[in-house]
Amino acid sequence: MAVARKALLAGVGGALVLALAVLFFAWSGLYNVAASRPHWALTRWFLDFGLRRSVATHSASITPPKLDDKNLVILGAGHFDAGCAPCHGAPGGHSDPIVDRMLPAPPELNRAASNWSTEQLFWIVKHGLKFTGMPAWVAQQRDDEVWAVVAFLRALPQMSASQYRLFAIGDPEPRPNDGAEIARNGMTMEALTRCVRCHRGDARPRSALVPRLAGQSQAYVERALRDFASGSRPSGIMEPIAVALDAAAITALSAYYAGAPNPAPSAPPIESNADQIARGKDIATQGVAETGVPPCLVCHGDARAPSFPKLDGQYAPYIVGQIDLWKRGLRTKSGYGAIMGTIASRLTDEQAQDVAAYFASVAAPPAEKLKPPIPPSRHGGRRAR
Amino acid sequence: MRDRQRFLRIARAASACLVLAGCEGVQSTLAPTGPQAQHIAQLFWVMVAGSGAILLVVTLLTAIALFAPPRRRAFLAGDTVVLAGGLVFPVVMLSALLVYGLVMLGAGPGRMAASPVGIEVAGERWWWRVVYRDAGAAVESANELRIPLGRAVEIELSSDNVIHSFWAPRLAGKLDMIPGRKTVLTLSAETAGVSRGQCAEYCGGAHALMAFNVVAMPPNEYDEWRLREFQPAQEPTTQQTRAGKALFLSHGCGACHTIRGTPAAGRLGPDLTHLGGRISIGAVILATDEASIARWITHNQDIKPGNLMPAFDIFSESELLALSRYLASLR
Repeated sequence: MAVARKALLAGVGGALVLALAVLFFAWSGLYNVAASRPHWALTRWFLDFGLRRSVATHSASITPPKLDDKNLVILGAGHFDAGCAPCHGAPGGHSDPIVDRMLPAPPELNRAASNWSTEQLFWIVKHGLKFTGMPAWVAQQRDDEVWAVVAFLRALPQMSASQYRLFAIGDPEPRPNDGAEIARNGMTMEALTRCVRCHRGDARPRSALVPRLAGQSQAYVERALRDFASGSRPSGIMEPIAVALDAAAITALSAYYAGAPNPAPSAPPIESNADQIARGKDIATQGVAETGVPPCLVCHGDARAPSFPKLDGQYAPYIVGQIDLWKRGLRTKSGYGAIMGTIASRLTDEQAQDVAAYFASVAAPPAEKLKPPIPPSRHGGRRAR
Repeated sequence: MRDRQRFLRIARAASACLVLAGCEGVQSTLAPTGPQAQHIAQLFWVMVAGSGAILLVVTLLTAIALFAPPRRRAFLAGDTVVLAGGLVFPVVMLSALLVYGLVMLGAGPGRMAASPVGIEVAGERWWWRVVYRDAGAAVESANELRIPLGRAVEIELSSDNVIHSFWAPRLAGKLDMIPGRKTVLTLSAETAGVSRGQCAEYCGGAHALMAFNVVAMPPNEYDEWRLREFQPAQEPTTQQTRAGKALFLSHGCGACHTIRGTPAAGRLGPDLTHLGGRISIGAVILATDEASIARWITHNQDIKPGNLMPAFDIFSESELLALSRYLASLR
């Protein structure tokens, strides 16, 4: 009995002394936190080991959706170039000497898909990593957006630099080569707020998950950007962009898109047959009386107020995705969102696909007659790598 | 614990209100305004008096059996008393009351004058769709029945969703509205005025807030009203109400609501052609005026939780005023 007691006392005493020693070491400031000096091999191994185990354990219960979809890859590429490439670099880019001095240095991601499983990539992009500088996803509810980035990361190793530039930055435009202009505005091609990288100007977006803005109501685009900026419409992709725009830029941008000629009617990018389109047309023009679905076209047709969006010629996957967000309660915080949220909750998944197919099949009407479009501000946000 | 106490206090206050509402009489079976309800009230009082008298006699006999000296209570054990009190009296009494009850309840419609006024009422979630027909034309109203004094009114009840029950206590008994069937209730009013009715069969979320008004009017006033009711909506006369009409049409209201004479032809919600002429909105929740209409547009989910109209909290103050003023002007 007495022996056991003594051993216990000695153990507690030893632990106390050790804790005090650790505390003293931290207090003394002798440990060097400088990023200019690399970790010891042992520290490095230990941190890496802990990180890999934590990611593996926490991502164990994730089930990935179908990811080999070009639309997801292109959407992910657009965000990657604006949100990730500044630190992680991109195909065909140059390493940034400032970023290179981070500790740990952000890894180049063309090997990410072979180093991490799909689930682990998702977990890292969504939650970020403590003490590494890797941020969590801005809109934690938007798993769909995180998956787009994961789909892109999986496709990245096979992507050539020119293909990447097409997906992520858009049409090859003449880069600024006027010295004075570069001196004033920098290399604006990489600006975060460069809408055309995903939405393009007067052409159709390359990803069917991206809304077509050319010819959209000005009031609606303005409202959407304000909702993104205020966080009432959660999106890890659009929130940072909308926050970087001031009121004048929002007005100018929406006026530009409202006046931009809407491109030629699209062939529906998903397989939708005439039956589906006919069913969708019924819902759009008559509604579904039994379940309380009003006809879509009363708000989204020609007689609508400009604050309601035009849906004609919009991609079906985009419409279906947004209806799904409403059903999940992610777009219901604004006054308009609350209205559509009520209606979306009454649509079955099949009905949502039907109406989406219908709207995708309708030729977009000519652009609004507005004052001559104001060109988008060339003033960009942060510089990309 | 505090929450529980508060809840109990609210519950008690609410039940007290209900009792008081009964006394007030707008929805009281005991304050009948027509012969059908009078029969029910009379039946009720006869039953109360009869059962009261029987209770008194039984109590008296029990007291005798318990407390009277053995000599006095001996008669209770006799065959005659047992047979008469236990068998003959209940059979005769209950049969008499049954016959009386049947005669009373069946008495109404038969004695009515021919050519009743027809009204169709459909139970919706959670409001009443009221249809008046006239030589091929049909107009709709909501949550308000207008009937002429002294004439039989035949109300055809239906529902295409769940079971509701139509109950205007001051005019008649309740009658269920069953999906797939039509039921007919005949009633008439002898006193002019407004009485309140209520859905009397639980029908989902906002059941308790599914009420209606019955307005009994002298025949000449009724005829005038009916003439107006069959007209399309009034055109707005001021710039503000014209703006209100434009807002109504451009902001999707017409997807669910009809205003006859405009492109708005939705059938999911109540017909608003003569909204301003109705006593209440929201199925007897708010008195019809600009302020209530504005509140309903923006905050209907707070006023009547779970109702099927989404809140339209999207208008500027001046837009909301224009819209509600336009709707209130539709008399």
